[in-house]
Amino acid sequence: MEPQNIRDKKDVAVEEKVHLIVFKLGNEEYGVRIDQVKEVTITPEITRMPKTPSFIKGVSNIRGDIIAIMDLEERFKIERPSGWHAQHTYTLVMEAKEFTMGFIVREVPQSLTLPVSSIDKAPSFIQDININENFIEGIGKYDDRLIIVLDIYKILTSDEISQLKS
Amino acid sequence: MKGREQEYREIFIAEALEYYDALSRHISDLEKAPQDEQVLAEIFRLLHNLKANAKAIGFITIADVSHKLETAFGMIRNKELNFSDEVVTVLFDGIDMLGELITSIDSPKEVEPSPALLRNLDIIINSLSDNSAELSKVQKYYNSKNLSLSDLIYIQIKKLDHLLNLVGELIIDRDRIFSISKELDNDDLKNVSAHLYRITEELQYSVMDARLVNVGSLFNKFPRIVRDIAVAESKEINLDIIGQDIQIDRNILQIITDSLLHLMRNAISHGIEKADVRKKAKKSPQGNITLSAQNDRDTVILRLIDDGKGIDQQEVKRAIVQRGFLSADAVNDLRETEVLSYLFEPGFSLAKEVTEVSGRGVGLDVVKNAIDSIGGRIRVDSKKGEGTTFTLFLPTSIAVKGALLCQVEENFYAIPLMHTDSVVALPTAELHEVGDLLVADINSETITIVSLKELFNTDISEYSVRKNDLESDVQNIIIVTYNNRKLGLIVDKLLRQQDIVIKALSRPVNTIEIYAGVTLLGSGKVCLVLDVAAITRYFIARR
Repeated sequence: MEPQNIRDKKDVAVEEKVHLIVFKLGNEEYGVRIDQVKEVTITPEITRMPKTPSFIKGVSNIRGDIIAIMDLEERFKIERPSGWHAQHTYTLVMEAKEFTMGFIVREVPQSLTLPVSSIDKAPSFIQDININENFIEGIGKYDDRLIIVLDIYKILTSDEISQLKS
Repeated sequence: MKGREQEYREIFIAEALEYYDALSRHISDLEKAPQDEQVLAEIFRLLHNLKANAKAIGFITIADVSHKLETAFGMIRNKELNFSDEVVTVLFDGIDMLGELITSIDSPKEVEPSPALLRNLDIIINSLSDNSAELSKVQKYYNSKNLSLSDLIYIQIKKLDHLLNLVGELIIDRDRIFSISKELDNDDLKNVSAHLYRITEELQYSVMDARLVNVGSLFNKFPRIVRDIAVAESKEINLDIIGQDIQIDRNILQIITDSLLHLMRNAISHGIEKADVRKKAKKSPQGNITLSAQNDRDTVILRLIDDGKGIDQQEVKRAIVQRGFLSADAVNDLRETEVLSYLFEPGFSLAKEVTEVSGRGVGLDVVKNAIDSIGGRIRVDSKKGEGTTFTLFLPTSIAVKGALLCQVEENFYAIPLMHTDSVVALPTAELHEVGDLLVADINSETITIVSLKELFNTDISEYSVRKNDLESDVQNIIIVTYNNRKLGLIVDKLLRQQDIVIKALSRPVNTIEIYAGVTLLGSGKVCLVLDVAAITRYFIARR
């Protein structure tokens, strides 16, 4: 009885949507939920922070807040497409609970809305790739694009980061 | 200082008026329920406090009247005096007179207590059996229904914290604007930013000032605590308190409260000997403890001095070896101050027996951590048989700290002045290689010298510096001091001394040990603040 009711309601109501900010890492497209993105800015000057893993590029002053900047490609060991020479990169300032961090991306991130139903929970074969399954919330499909939706909170609280002690 | 005396007066008046209001309320309650012991006790307490405060600040008449009223209420409490109508009238009159005396403290016309009333009070106090003796009618020449609101307000410390944080942010932006206006070289902008500079500075000091409290607000709790511990330990202690009116940030005082209590317990139960032992050592049977505070520029120095048995260097050395901190050979090379610094290591305790008040596993490391957390410093000096002194160096305020700016590679770093000892330029030839480390003889002290560049670029377990690795012929070295130990840090360039506002690093990068926080320089450049405590710890462990 109960499940049937819920399904009926869903069909009638406007389908639930999820709003993503989409960016490229390597050759693939990745997305994060827009409510976790505080702002997108041209990457400011980064002050190197010794004694951190190499994927932490340093800290930046973004409107008076000091925010650590992470290179996700380096973090997940994603190979960078060769021949890329941009004048500047962009930084997505992410917030999840009390954790804040900036992610470097190479192109202007896009905004994309897709129905929740088009996002599959991460299938098990993803274990094979470098991004730990835990960091992937699901795989979204939009036209013929495939968007890997990341779980920011898990990335920001992963062992490698929470044990940032030398 | 005249300003501070005036402040005390104002605080006294505001408190006294509150007492007066409470007294008026309670005596009305008491009239309705004369048997209510609780109300009676409260009145008694209020009068007693009022008397003590008035006496302390020198308002003798108020103290006298309070004393008489206190005596009367004491008698009522002991059932020596009936709470009869005549007595009630006299007491009401007495309390009203107190109110009148308090409100007229600052008025030019001095108010004398009515002699008739004083006589009435004396009569009810002195005539135990016959309280119907001729009580004279007191003429109410004072206006008893004068309503006024207090000049003081209470404020949650949380609100002041918020205010202070905002001021910190403002200062950072101000410095930025100040340096931009210099670059742009526009006269209007320069004028405005110079004005902004002065105003924010004044704002900063006003907020810092609003957070200051007397060290006495903590110290004055100690006579009672000391008495209780002394009784439990069956020892006799004479406590001297000096410098109660030194001022310090309220939160800093709060943070060190437990530490000071811990040190006091240690001093009494482990420091001071029992009376018979003291006599044998030709000391007074009473143990002496001094708790003192003094100002030294931006630092408040608290000292806890006892004349007890002192700390036995040999015993500490044995414990260092026993607990595996160092080998027996290494221990013998330690300087005296270095030996004592091991007292602050986690798990290091000399206590042999667990007593009621101390020796329950909470060690001096907890004390040190609390003091580290506010950017303070602790040192211990002790002489066997003569006593021990703990000295706490505390910042007056948490918002702004003096720091030394230096450069390593392309980055700027700040080192809080609290932890810097001196700055030297030393020819590389005067450095010596000992194992993987460099040491130097500076002012006849052997000090470990660390290259910050190497520290930043290699894993700590692989840290190793040879003289050949150092580029120039002369090294800029900042000598830092932490927990009685010194360490020299080689930097590429010494920049300047500057007041900085330290911001905490945001999660998740707040856990990296060597950083105490971060600050923004006027140029907008991010500057990491080094945690001297953490850096020192690495290298002490290695030696």
